[in-house]
Amino acid sequence: MNFDWTVIWRNAPSLAEGTLLTVVLTTLTMAIAIPGGIVLALMRLSPIRAVSAASAGFVEFFRNLPLILVVYWAYYVMPVAFDVQFSAFTTGLAALAFNVSAYNSETFRAGIQSIRKGQVEAALALGMSRAQAVREVVLPQAVPRVLPVLASTWVSLFKDTSLVSVIAVGELAYTAMRIRSQTFRVLEMLTAMAAIYWALGYPQAKLVDWLHRKFRVME
Amino acid sequence: MDLDFTPLIESRQYLLEGLELTIVLSLATVAASLALGGAVGLARCYGPSSLRWFLVLYIDSMRAVPVLVVLVWTYFAFPILSGISLPPFWAALVALTLHIAAYVAEIVRAGITSVRPGQLRAALAIGMSRREAVVEIILPQAIIRMLPAFGSILSITIKDTAIAAVIAVPEYMKQSETVAGQSFHPIEVFSVAAIVYFLILFPVTRLVDMLYARVAHLGRS
Amino acid sequence: MTGPILSYCAVRKLFGQFVALDGVSFEIARGEVVCLIGPSGSGKSTLLRCTNGLETIDGGEIRFDGVPLPSNDAGARQIRQRMGMVFQNFELFPHKRVIDNVAIGPRIVLRMKDGLAVRRAEALLDKVGLSEKAGSYPANLSGGQQQRVAIARALAMEPELMLFDEPTSALDPETIGEVLNVMKRLADEGMTMLVVTHEMTFARRVANRVIVFERGTIVEDGPPTQIFETPRVERTRDFLSHLGWAG
Repeated sequence: MNFDWTVIWRNAPSLAEGTLLTVVLTTLTMAIAIPGGIVLALMRLSPIRAVSAASAGFVEFFRNLPLILVVYWAYYVMPVAFDVQFSAFTTGLAALAFNVSAYNSETFRAGIQSIRKGQVEAALALGMSRAQAVREVVLPQAVPRVLPVLASTWVSLFKDTSLVSVIAVGELAYTAMRIRSQTFRVLEMLTAMAAIYWALGYPQAKLVDWLHRKFRVME
Repeated sequence: MDLDFTPLIESRQYLLEGLELTIVLSLATVAASLALGGAVGLARCYGPSSLRWFLVLYIDSMRAVPVLVVLVWTYFAFPILSGISLPPFWAALVALTLHIAAYVAEIVRAGITSVRPGQLRAALAIGMSRREAVVEIILPQAIIRMLPAFGSILSITIKDTAIAAVIAVPEYMKQSETVAGQSFHPIEVFSVAAIVYFLILFPVTRLVDMLYARVAHLGRS
Repeated sequence: MTGPILSYCAVRKLFGQFVALDGVSFEIARGEVVCLIGPSGSGKSTLLRCTNGLETIDGGEIRFDGVPLPSNDAGARQIRQRMGMVFQNFELFPHKRVIDNVAIGPRIVLRMKDGLAVRRAEALLDKVGLSEKAGSYPANLSGGQQQRVAIARALAMEPELMLFDEPTSALDPETIGEVLNVMKRLADEGMTMLVVTHEMTFARRVANRVIVFERGTIVEDGPPTQIFETPRVERTRDFLSHLGWAG
């Protein structure tokens, strides 16, 4: 049983690229899923039944499916549905973005609903429009409540990007496993993969804890 | 787009066996995670402080590393290191349990710390031993608060079993993948898989929502 | 500017099956201070909330300055700018400082320039006796102080009519007085006020008129001397004696 740990060092550039793609994928997904979540939350709170139901349906759909299945499904359905050949990256991004938007919408909805009704009434009583009331009174109070949860979602998303490796997107998990297949250095590469995720994920998890402490809502 | 569902009908036995395994793996994982996670959570709250740093390291590490990585490492790397080779199902069970038990431990810790400290003091004041106080007074109150989160654990576990497909555990996701690849009808196969998972998970998430609503009125006890 | 500022004509309001307001009719003239009293659930607060459109009515009509309340959003907003409302739970905006709470109406709704809005806010804070708290956040103020800021916030819009929904019910006894004093000064200055309250002393001393509600209808309507000393209706007497009001 001989190990060759230098294989990690020799493939460092590839691993770095993979890691970078993981970060890019996470960032892009959140960039889409935050506005996406807000839109879905506002739709859910709309007095128009059809709009509210559509949003609720979308959210339920993604809450109740394994993400890996969504990734596969998107990979096969998207080209047929849109008659366009998407890259694996785009497919993976779409699957992740839809999934996280659904979770974010619940976060935003809870945040918005946690604001007392009287706050909105006081704003309306001054003559503000609903939009003004939301902008001036609801959102500024909802954001500190929502931020720690969004941070947790970010960390989960960072880990979930590993799932798009199954459709050959070159993020960290795919890259590490590819190098493993090429070099047959199984223990070394898989341990390196775990170590890199750990090194990136651990501080993020600690940051989330700090955010939760800092923004602990005092009523 | 013309759909052909016959491959699904032809492979239904194969797929059903996969579904069965999904359920077995999920339930086994939940049971094992509750046991391990419960033990770790209790040890964190009431165990020797010399042990705490290790438990915290374990819990935070599982928060940092993806399930996929734990699964793959357990199945491919662990045997090389230890000489023990695990069949796919058992590797998945071990990996998923280790990963999910960390979440259970956090739920247990949160549940226990949500019970007012005065409750413990009051119990000790009437002469209960520490162990009696925890078992009779703290845990019952804590467990009620933990129930909705435990429901989420079931939901998360079922979803995570689908990832075990990458280490060739013949659960429902893997079987679907195989049928899709062989029949060249991935859309039909995966669409049905989506419906099946939805039908399994929807009642669970509904139950969890109901439980959360029921315990919502309980603040700090 | 003649005619009543507010007139209610057979106003009905339902919450599902429950009849909150059952044919309420009366008028308020400019400069009048009217107190609505009555048991909980009798419809007093509901009437107030229908007046500025926070609730819609299911029957009858409410006229403000001779014009029926508009049913469209933009119209309702216009009307609300002319009425001020003070809530039982103050509802100050916790994420804004006191001065910004008072200035927010002029700033956002009247689109006033910052400097002007702040000057108006400072003057009003001075009027309610809280100039030194301008830079503080609501959480650092007592209940009575918060309510006085809430009054200043409503006044910043220079309303023609002030609605008070149990303004002192959530206050400690020690701080009730400071809020009632501000309200009395407002009344003395000629503000038209519609006040839902349990503070009988205030009603007795400051109101021009007291209207007694019970189960969504008006039981009695008259000057305080009548209501408190020589009520004409049995139910009024019952309600007051229930409160231990010895006159």
